Amino acid sequence: MVSKIPSLAALIPLFLLLASTVADSDLAAELLALQSRSESGVIHLDDRSVSRFLTSPKTPRPYSLLIFFDAEHLHDKAELRLTALKNEFALVSSSFIANNQHNPTVRSKLFFCDIEFKESQSTFALFGVKSLPHIRLVGPDLKSPKDSDQMDQADLSRLAESMAAFVESKTKLSVGPIARPPLVSKMQFIFMVAVLMICTPFIIRRILAGDTLLHDKKVWLFGAVFVYFFSVGGTMHNIIRNMPMFLPDRNDPSRLIFFYQGSGMQLGAEGFAVGCLYTVVGLLLALVTHALVRVRNRSVQRFIMIIALFISFWAVKKVVYLDNWKTGYRVHAFWPSSWN
Amino acid sequence: MSSPVTASERTVRHAFGNVLAFFVLILIGVLAFSIRLFSVIKYESVIHEFDPYFNYRVTQFLTRNGIYDFWNWFDDRTWYPLGRVIGGTVYPGLTLTAGTLWWVLHSLNIPLSVETVCVFTAPTFSAFASWATYLLTKEVKGPGAGLAAAALLGMVPSYISRSVAGSYDNEAVAIFALIFTFFLYIKTLNTGSLFYATLNAISYFYMVCSWGGYTFIINLIPMHVLLCIVTGRYSPRLYIAYAPLVVLGTLLAALVPVVGFNAVMTSEHFASFLVFIIIHVVALVYYIKGILSPRMFKVAVTLVLSIGLAVCCAVIAILIAVVASSPTKGWSGRSLSLLDPTYASKYIPIIASVSEHQPPTWPSYFMDINVLAFLVPAGIIACFLPLSDASSFAVLYIVTSVYFSGVMVRLMLVLAPAACIMSGIALSEAFDALTGSIKFHLLGFSIENSQAGAGDASPDNVPAQKNAVKSDASENTLKERTSRKSKKKEKEREKEEQDGKSSLKSQIKRLQVLPFEASIIGVFLLILLGAFYAVHCVWAAAEAYSAPSIVLTSHTQSGLHVFDDFREAYAWLRHNTEVDDKVASWWDYGYQTTAMANRTVIVDNNTWNNTHIATVGTAMSSPEKAAWEIFNSLDVKYVLVVFGGLVGYPSDDINKFLWMVRIGGGVFPHIKEPDYLRDGQYRIDSQATPTMLNCLMYKLSYYRFVDTDGKGFDRVRQTEIGKKYFKLTHFEEVFTTHHWMVRIYKLKPQKNRIRGKSKKSKSKASSTASSTKRRINKNPWL
Repeated sequence: MVSKIPSLAALIPLFLLLASTVADSDLAAELLALQSRSESGVIHLDDRSVSRFLTSPKTPRPYSLLIFFDAEHLHDKAELRLTALKNEFALVSSSFIANNQHNPTVRSKLFFCDIEFKESQSTFALFGVKSLPHIRLVGPDLKSPKDSDQMDQADLSRLAESMAAFVESKTKLSVGPIARPPLVSKMQFIFMVAVLMICTPFIIRRILAGDTLLHDKKVWLFGAVFVYFFSVGGTMHNIIRNMPMFLPDRNDPSRLIFFYQGSGMQLGAEGFAVGCLYTVVGLLLALVTHALVRVRNRSVQRFIMIIALFISFWAVKKVVYLDNWKTGYRVHAFWPSSWN
Repeated sequence: MSSPVTASERTVRHAFGNVLAFFVLILIGVLAFSIRLFSVIKYESVIHEFDPYFNYRVTQFLTRNGIYDFWNWFDDRTWYPLGRVIGGTVYPGLTLTAGTLWWVLHSLNIPLSVETVCVFTAPTFSAFASWATYLLTKEVKGPGAGLAAAALLGMVPSYISRSVAGSYDNEAVAIFALIFTFFLYIKTLNTGSLFYATLNAISYFYMVCSWGGYTFIINLIPMHVLLCIVTGRYSPRLYIAYAPLVVLGTLLAALVPVVGFNAVMTSEHFASFLVFIIIHVVALVYYIKGILSPRMFKVAVTLVLSIGLAVCCAVIAILIAVVASSPTKGWSGRSLSLLDPTYASKYIPIIASVSEHQPPTWPSYFMDINVLAFLVPAGIIACFLPLSDASSFAVLYIVTSVYFSGVMVRLMLVLAPAACIMSGIALSEAFDALTGSIKFHLLGFSIENSQAGAGDASPDNVPAQKNAVKSDASENTLKERTSRKSKKKEKEREKEEQDGKSSLKSQIKRLQVLPFEASIIGVFLLILLGAFYAVHCVWAAAEAYSAPSIVLTSHTQSGLHVFDDFREAYAWLRHNTEVDDKVASWWDYGYQTTAMANRTVIVDNNTWNNTHIATVGTAMSSPEKAAWEIFNSLDVKYVLVVFGGLVGYPSDDINKFLWMVRIGGGVFPHIKEPDYLRDGQYRIDSQATPTMLNCLMYKLSYYRFVDTDGKGFDRVRQTEIGKKYFKLTHFEEVFTTHHWMVRIYKLKPQKNRIRGKSKKSKSKASSTASSTKRRINKNPWL
C-alpha cells in the first residue's frame, strides 16, 4: 500500500500529461463508433455532443468536422432542396469512408455530422447559422465555431462532387470518387433481364401478329402530342435547372409567384400553363377540321365552333401578352413611312 | 360528283394549278431571300460574327489555290506554334459550295468578289430550303400543304437567325441539305425507286460535308425504319429507302476527312447498323413467308426465330462490348447531353456554359417559331388521319426535334423545318375545310360536294388541289403515289379516276361542311394569325437577328451612331505590323484576326486545344511580369483586348474574364478563381481583390481610362474602377480605337540588366542557359 502511493503520486502528473492525447484519441474512437452506427456514416449531433466533441476539447483537435445543419420542418420547402442536399451529403460521407477503408488514420481525420434545428438550437446560435442550407467545416485548429468555413452556394451546385471538392481543398484529405448507388441494384437488374428474356418470345409473337400497344395509333398520337406539350412549355429547362413549381413572393410571403418576369428563367407552373395554351389551339383546330365536320347537327357545330374559335383567340392573345410581358420585346410592323 | 367534270377540264385545271404553284414557289424563294437582306440594308454587305470569318478565309484560300491545296492546307497562321490542319478538320461543304458558286459566276463572266458570294450564300440556300420543304411536305400531304409549309419556312425566325445575309456558317447550307435528304428519303419510300435512293445517299453525303448535325439524320431515319417494322409497315420500298442509304451513305461519309472512320466507329452511327441488320432479318422473314405455305411458314418461323434471335443477341452483345470499351460509351458529350438532359450540367461545365447549349424557356419558342407553336398539334393530328409511311416520318421528326430543342436552344434550328411542315399541313387542312364550307354555302351543293367531301372524308387527298377527286382512303394510294412528272403519271391518273368514281357514293353520303358564318370567322382568324406571323418574322429579321456584331450601331437622340472599332483595329494591325508578328487575344477574336488582319494568332474559335487556351487565359489572369514571360515564350508581339467600358459594349473581355480564369485555372492550378472574387462577387471597383486589380486583363483594359472622364466610370459594370492611376512596365500601348473598344499593346523588349543586380547579370552573362531555364520553370506553358 505504502509503496504504491508514491508511485501513484508519481504517475498522476504522467496521466495528466497524457490526458489530453488519450482523451483526443478516445474522442476520435468514440466518433468512429458513432459513425459505424449510422448507415451512411453521418453522425447525428446535438448540443451535448457538440460541446463534447467540438467546443470542450483543446485545439488542435485530431479531426475536422463537417456539419450539415438540418431542419426537419423545412424539408417540404422545395426551393431549399434540404432533403436532396442531405442525401448528397450522406453520399459524400459514405464515399469518403468507403474510399479510405484501408486507411484508418485518414478516416479518423474527418467526420460527417448533422444537427437538427429543433434539438440543438443553441448550436445553431453558436455557429451563427441564420439560413439553410448550411454546411460548415470545422478545422482542427479552429477556436471559435463562428470562424469555421462555410460551404457556399457554388460548392453545393454540383451536389456531391462539388462538396467533395470543397472538402478536399480545405482539409487536404482525399474523398475519392463519389460512389453513387446504381439506379437499380444488381439483383433487380438480373431480375429485369430474366423477365425480359422470358417475355421476348411473347412480344415477338405479338409483333408478328401485329397486335401490340405499339400498333394502336391512338397511343402514338397521344404520345406525340404529349412530348410536344412537354417540350414546348420548357419543361426540360425546369428539369435540368431543378426549377420549383412556384416561388413565394418576397414582399408578401403569403402570395405565390407563378410567372417569373425575365426570359432567362421560368417556373414549373408557368411552363405547364403556357404549354397548355400552345397545345390547346392546335387541338381545337384539329377538332374543327377533322371531327366537327362529321357532326350532323348544324347548331351544335355552330356552337362548338364559336367556342373553339373564342378559346383559340383568347389563348393566342394570352400567350402574346405573356410573352411581351416576360421578355419586354415590342413587336411592331414596318409600314411605309408615307403612311405616318 | 353531280356535275361531271370532263377529263380535259380537269387537265386544264391541273395545269393551271401547277403553273400557279410554280409562281407561288418563285415568290416564296424571293421572300426567303429578301427577308434576309435586312443586315445588308441596315448595315452593309459584310461577313458576320466570328466563325463566318474563318469560313470566309478558307473560301478565299480555296478560290485562290484550288481544291487540292485546300484539301492539304496546313494553316500556320493560327494556334501558333502548333498550327492547324484545315483540310482535315473542317466540314468542307459550305466552303466548297461557295467556292463552286464563285467559280460558276466567274466562268459566266460575272465578277463578284468572294466576299459577296459568301455574304449571299445563306439567303440563296434559304430559298432552296423552302423549295425543299415544299417537296418534302408535298410527299407527305400534297402540294397545298407543301406551299403553306414552304412559305412558313421561308420566314421562320429560328432559321433566319442562322441565315441572314453575311451569316456565312455551316448551318446556312446544312438546313437545306437536311430537308432535301429527308425529302429524298420520303420520295424513295413512296416510290421505291433506286434512283431516288442513290440521290438520297448523295444528298446525305452533302449533309455530312456540311454540318456535324448529320448524326441527326443517321439516327432519325433508322428510328423511322424501326418504327415502321415494329408497327408492321415493312415493305420492299422501305428496304430500298434504307439499305442503300446506309451502305452508300456510310461509305461516302467516310470520305469526308473530318468524319473518316468515325462513320463506323462511334456510337452515334451504331443505331443505323443495328437497324440495317434488323431490316435484313425482317426482309428475309417476309421473303420466306412469301414462298412458303402458311403451315410451313409457322415451322420456319420457330426455326428462324431461334437462330435469328441467337445471332441478334450475339451481335448486340458485340455492339455493347464495343460501346462499353470506350470511355464515354462511344458517345460524345454533346450527344449524351441530348439523351440525358441533366448530363451536361452535371459533368461537362464547359458544354453547359455555352449559351447556345442552354435549355430554352417557353418564350424562346414564341420568339423562334412564333405562331407555329400553336399549329403544330393540329398538324400532328392531321398526320395520323391517315397514318402513312411518310406522315409517320413527319411525326417522328417533329417529336424528336422538339424534344432535342427542349434540351438545347441551338437545336431549335432543327425543329424549325419540322414545325413549318406540321403547321403547313395544319393550315392547309384547316383552310381546306373552312373555304370548302364557305364555297358550299355560296355556290350551292352541286359543285361543292366533291370538294368538301373529298377534302375531309379522305384525308389522303391533296388539299387545295382543285381537280382532286381521288378519295380513296386506303393508304395504298398514298404509298404508291409517284411524282407527277414520272412516267407512271397517266396510269396513276386513270387509277385515281376509277377510285374517285367508285367512292363517289360514299362522298355524297358523307357530305361534311361547317356553318357559314363560323367558317368565315375561322378563315378570318387564321389569316390574322398568318399576318401576325409575318409581322413577327419581319420584326425578328430586322431587329433581332440582323446585327453583324462586327459593326455596331446605337440609336441616340442625336441620331444613329456607328461603332466600327473592330475593323479599325484589324486594319491597323494589317498595315502597321510585320507580316509574321504574333497577336495574342482571347480566343473569340482569333478567327477575325487571322481573316481581317492576316496576322498569326495563338488561339482561335476552333477550341481544339484546351491547354493552349488555358495558357492565354493564365497570361491574362497573371500579373504583368508573369504575363509578359508567358507571351514572350510564345513569340507574341502584340496583345489585343476588347474593352466596352467607355461606350457600354457588354460582351467585352472584362466580362469574359472569369472564363479566362476558370479555363486557365483548370490547367494551371496556381490561378484560383476565388482570388479574383470578393465574397463570391466579381467586381472591378475599389472593393476588388488585389489579384484582380493587378492582373494583366485589368491593366490592359483600364490603362489610361481615367483620362477619358477624370473618374474612370465603367459604363458596362456601372461603377468607377478600383485602380485608376497605374503605369505599365512590360507592355506599351500602341493603338486604341476611336471608341476604345479595341486596345492593342506591344510587348516591351527585354530590359537591360540593372546595375545593382550585377551578380545575377554576371551569372547570366556567363550562362544564359541557366537563366532561361529559371524563367521557363516559372512559365506554365512549358
